[in-house]
Amino acid sequence: MESITSTFSRSEVRKVGLRFAPAAIEALETLTRLSAFTLITLGTGWTRFGLNSRVIRPRIIEEIHRSGVCLLPIVSFLGVALGVVFVGQTIALMQQVGAAGFTGTLIVTVFIRELAPLAAGLVVLARVGTATVIELGTARALGEVEALEALGIDPIHYLVLPRVVGFTVSVLCLTVYLMILTLVSGYLFAFARGLKATPGEFFGMVAAALSWLDFPLLALKTAGFGVITGLVICYHGLARSLTLDEVGKATTRTVAQCVIACLLLDAVFIVVYLFT
Amino acid sequence: MSVAPSIVLQGVRVVHSRNPGIALIDEVDWTVNPGEFWVVAGLQGSGKTLLLETAAGLTPQGEGRVFLFGEEVSGGRQEADELPEIRQRLGLLFDGAGRLFPSLNVFENIALPWCYHRNGSLAEAAEVLAPLINYLQLDKLLDQVPGRLGRAWARRVALGRALALGPELLFLDNPLSGIDTAHLRWWRNFLVDAPRGHPALGGRPMTLVAASDELRPFLSLGHRFALAHEGRWRILGSAADVLAAREDAGVREILGDND
Repeated sequence: MESITSTFSRSEVRKVGLRFAPAAIEALETLTRLSAFTLITLGTGWTRFGLNSRVIRPRIIEEIHRSGVCLLPIVSFLGVALGVVFVGQTIALMQQVGAAGFTGTLIVTVFIRELAPLAAGLVVLARVGTATVIELGTARALGEVEALEALGIDPIHYLVLPRVVGFTVSVLCLTVYLMILTLVSGYLFAFARGLKATPGEFFGMVAAALSWLDFPLLALKTAGFGVITGLVICYHGLARSLTLDEVGKATTRTVAQCVIACLLLDAVFIVVYLFT
Repeated sequence: MSVAPSIVLQGVRVVHSRNPGIALIDEVDWTVNPGEFWVVAGLQGSGKTLLLETAAGLTPQGEGRVFLFGEEVSGGRQEADELPEIRQRLGLLFDGAGRLFPSLNVFENIALPWCYHRNGSLAEAAEVLAPLINYLQLDKLLDQVPGRLGRAWARRVALGRALALGPELLFLDNPLSGIDTAHLRWWRNFLVDAPRGHPALGGRPMTLVAASDELRPFLSLGHRFALAHEGRWRILGSAADVLAAREDAGVREILGDND
């Protein structure tokens, strides 16, 4: 009886192993290639810093406009919605349970440190990231990348760096904008519902819950989301030779990997917060 | 002082870019000297486009060695990227609509290589490239986006982009296919002007290598001819040599004499 059980469990283990091993190997390969792509991009950024600025600088500004300025309306909507739904409700609830003194801590821990950077990163990924991977994948499939190489233009310098810089600046700025708008709209909503605190008292409470370490860590985290999003998008759009019918699949893969990578980075920062 | 050949291919195996295991042309030994106009003929799928890309250092060769202006390029993309100086001395016109960048308008497409390598503004490029744009007869199309252009005009824009840096060596992939007689006349004039040198094209003689699946339109234009047929590479010689070799099955096929 015992041998039957052990044979069964061994075959089950093998079955599970056979099922997940290829996926694990593929994930490892993707991680290796992505790391190599990141290093190449960093190397290009380092060696070509400031070169060909008349072409690259306008491209960076264009990317910031596309992935930052153009997203202001949707981020404004999200900010007001989060303000009403999260901040406003939190203030009301904390007052009801007699824990108004913890409102600032709750808002900082949940919203400022976690929700706002993730929300801004995901909005950029959804609105611009998917379009970018399709754009780059199509350019690769139609041979436009080879056309750049034929002109002696480094595709990493011309196509990747402006996007990575643009995404980084945009996620960082949109996060700050989202935080301010959410807090303001949340306060106004709570005030309309009878909150007694003045704006100075409310924002003072939030500021008191922040530590000096929050500023560099939040800047690093949001910038990290932008860098990761930009790199994963450009990797899937450019690093592999695609045919037109593969572009759709590459887009889906990109979204999934960006979300996973951002959540992993977020987890790293949670650990950092736990030890500081 | 002797001038180095523009291109030297020694025992090169031209392979498929996505599948290097597939050889399309074997044992290519080829020397292109400055000022020559070579026509590489071959049927569709014979590998002539990849031969051009291999000779330009864009696609890695399976075997053999590739030299451009006397310097060896491995043919691997990354290594070739480290040779921007060489890249600036050659131009490549791709087949069809020339792989223009759809997000840029006609002028930005033409000016891009100049602005990038000379770190110049679009206004400066407009001044420098005005004679070329005038020669290409593109003055009225500069604000158009590539998607709104006909194939023949798009190809001419792509030619402008390839010529923007004043290359010494120009690769042309099927330049005369699928265009009307007016465009054909313009291209024939260009193919006469370029090897001689034209003020709008920088003034100095340009080395041309054109790939084509038709030989007849080039017989009165090209200096030297070669054939890629059924995986083999053959230097045919001058136009007179091509006509003298009409008994050969490959030459007959490419001349359309089988019909």
